[in-house]
Amino acid sequence: MRKSPALCGVLIWALASVASGAPAPREPLPYRLDPYPSTYRPLPRADTLITSATVLDGAGHRLEGADLLLRDGKVVAVGPNLARPDGVKVIDAKGRWVTPGIVDIHSHDGDFALPLTANDLQELDVSEGSDPNTAQVWAEHSITPQDPDFSRAMAGGVTTLQVLPGSSNLFGGRGVVLKNVPAVTVQAMKFPGADYSLKMACGENPKFTYGPRLKFPTSRMGEMAGYRQAWIDAKAYKAKWEKYERERGDAPARDLRMDTLAGVLDGDIRVHMHCYRAEEMADVIDMSHEMGYHVAAFHHAVEAYKIAPLLKREGICAVVWSDWWGFKMEAYDGTRLNAALLDSQGVCVTLHSDSPMIGQHLTLEAGKAMAAGRRAGIDIPPERAIQWVTLNPAKGMGLDARIGSLEPGKDADVVIWSGDPFSAYSKADQVFLDGALVFDRMDPNRQPKADFELGQPVLEPRS
Amino acid sequence: MRRLLLAFMGLAAALTAPAAMAQTTAIIHAKAYVQPGAPPILDATIIIQTGKIKAVAAGLAPPPGVEVVDAKGAIVTPGLMNGASQLGIEEVTSTDDGADRAVKSGPLGAAFDIQYALNPNSELLRVARFDGVTRAMTLPTGSASAPFTGQGAALRLSESADILDRPKAAVAVQTGGPSDPAAGGSRAAQWQILRNALDEAREYRADKHGAGPRDQILNHLDAEALGPVLDGKVPLAIAATRESDIRQAIALAHDEHVRVVIIGGAEAWRVADLLAAAKIPVVLDPFANLAYSLDEIGARLDNAARLRKAGVVIAFGMVDDLSSVYESYLAGETLREGAGLAIANGLTWDQALEAVTTGPARIWGVADHYGVLAVGQDADVVIWHGDPLDVSGWPDAVYVQGVKATLRTRQDALGKRYAPSHANDPWPSNYR
Repeated sequence: MRKSPALCGVLIWALASVASGAPAPREPLPYRLDPYPSTYRPLPRADTLITSATVLDGAGHRLEGADLLLRDGKVVAVGPNLARPDGVKVIDAKGRWVTPGIVDIHSHDGDFALPLTANDLQELDVSEGSDPNTAQVWAEHSITPQDPDFSRAMAGGVTTLQVLPGSSNLFGGRGVVLKNVPAVTVQAMKFPGADYSLKMACGENPKFTYGPRLKFPTSRMGEMAGYRQAWIDAKAYKAKWEKYERERGDAPARDLRMDTLAGVLDGDIRVHMHCYRAEEMADVIDMSHEMGYHVAAFHHAVEAYKIAPLLKREGICAVVWSDWWGFKMEAYDGTRLNAALLDSQGVCVTLHSDSPMIGQHLTLEAGKAMAAGRRAGIDIPPERAIQWVTLNPAKGMGLDARIGSLEPGKDADVVIWSGDPFSAYSKADQVFLDGALVFDRMDPNRQPKADFELGQPVLEPRS
Repeated sequence: MRRLLLAFMGLAAALTAPAAMAQTTAIIHAKAYVQPGAPPILDATIIIQTGKIKAVAAGLAPPPGVEVVDAKGAIVTPGLMNGASQLGIEEVTSTDDGADRAVKSGPLGAAFDIQYALNPNSELLRVARFDGVTRAMTLPTGSASAPFTGQGAALRLSESADILDRPKAAVAVQTGGPSDPAAGGSRAAQWQILRNALDEAREYRADKHGAGPRDQILNHLDAEALGPVLDGKVPLAIAATRESDIRQAIALAHDEHVRVVIIGGAEAWRVADLLAAAKIPVVLDPFANLAYSLDEIGARLDNAARLRKAGVVIAFGMVDDLSSVYESYLAGETLREGAGLAIANGLTWDQALEAVTTGPARIWGVADHYGVLAVGQDADVVIWHGDPLDVSGWPDAVYVQGVKATLRTRQDALGKRYAPSHANDPWPSNYR
């Protein structure tokens, strides 16, 4: 995968070029620049030793009575009886559980900001509803950082979110990965160096959005034609820019739609595609070969269990709900065995929220899917199920080298749970983001609230 | 009248009873939660005969010749009840096919009665039963005659064709913003229309053929439907979330001498003492803690605990329009997950069990035959694997009116059809 320095973070790029001995880069093509760079800075932090916990490390292990050392925002060590360096803050987690920070790969927090007024319900910020191809829009430009959903998700242990545009369009636009940190600007939440994503959508949503307006596409075959034509156009656009890169002369005209699609063909932008049905996913996979890109993940993927070997062979993650089915015809064959069936066949499974309600309870999503599997005789242990909401979504976003597990060198995104994180009775007690204690259930001063929630009479105790 | 009707229906059920109903079953070695507030009976025996609970006691020896089911110490509870659903009146939410949730035009307002739309073959009922639900209140949504949405019914989730437990169990009303233009486009108009409608219904009953100022709001069908509400036999199920609307509902109950049940009640905790004093129960969504609209800024997860502490009778239902995905196709699983969340936020385990059994049974008028494990009650019994009020548990066996449910669902059939063990089967899955 080729990377532009601007997208990737200067430091990482510099290290990579030193390692590979690559020549100094040419000035990147304008469409590969990041004009809205992250200004995220970790919050003030203290080196911390969490002791005597039941640790699900996200790398597939369960450790009893284990300690976890966080230093300078990174995981330093995990294991029994770690030494206690001087000056380290110690948190006794005996009887409690520790997991990596929860990763929500499919959120609309911020672009579906609450409260939704009657006006919002008419024109939601989550989808640009004017055209089936809105690859030119970026979800981050709809995001309200002060959406109360973010802090509610944090209280559910979520430290990283991928916020996607909605699914009305064939090409919905760019999604963005955020650190779940309170901020006034979106830039201050953007995960430094994370890939952008392109949200695409199959099936009922696009055709039922445009069909009633007698606008293309009105059918599933129309949808496929719509994707294919756009990719063909993007290839031509990319070729024009590459010619310019080689030969210079007059720069081609910028086209924001094509910028995003060319970014996919370049391997800089990851495709996250909303598809329910097995045959649609199979068609899209063939199309990705035809056009020369890779699908990072199918989202919702209600029928993924019907094509598990295909998804495994293609290295595509299935991003699913625990139990949603039947709310539309393309979800009619939904089964809550989806995650367990896929996992047992080696497919990268992720549970997602798609809803600010579920986004607060992602470990319960995993818990429900795990219980459904057990009830049907597919036994998936907790140390594996935790990966459905930590390491696997990190893989889907290309961030598994940095987050998703508690391995030395990784970002210190950690949750201490009051008990078994898969139980409805448990809560996140403490949440660390890059080593900073961003949420503490015992400390009212470590419970961020959105501006909207400030000073609301109905949130005060009744006098 | 209603009692007579129930008696008649009971007779009809006996005449058409399936063979299994006549069988006697003894569940032994159960950890039986027989009624809220009482500690469980350890090593309980529950004897089920002719669809009813014949005996419940510790260590009781099963009579000879009966079917014996060993619970091996597992938790046994009454079947669960969803306090607000659209079970039986919707299939696939996104399409109008099979969606009978609302009357969309014509003369029916308060009179609209969903009992005539119930579909016992609905897959949603099977999924609910799979999760331990044996009763549910079903309420219409939307209206051709706002603020009335029509009459709901209490269901029993048996596998027979007869799922109607108590028809006309409530007259439902929708309040709050943004207000339906048909109800004046202002919530003030909703309350005025509602009060005027009750006045008109009262006048209609006093003199059905008189002149009077009736038929301004109600036609005779709607006026008839409100009769049992005026008599206090049937509650008004008022969907309300904002504190001001809940206060209006309390005032209406007082002024009009009618029974009221609050549906939703996101901000009900703000008036918990008033609701308790007025004996107004609340069917709430235990997941609700977000300001989806400006009417529910005060939504919080300890709503259930605060209401219950004040003495309000509560039930759980999936009542928020915007979280409609939690609705009836997950009527059991989310009920249990929601109960767990309420426990995590201050409700006791016993109180949560009550909110999914006797609470809704009392609210919707079926407590005389469902809700506790007691002699003479319908034998709605669930043997649980693990904890019924946490997501890790599930029902091992579900009895509805004494008949053991098959617990088959399409979901399980699909899971079996596409199991990895068939990976090398040369024949397509359709042959399985």
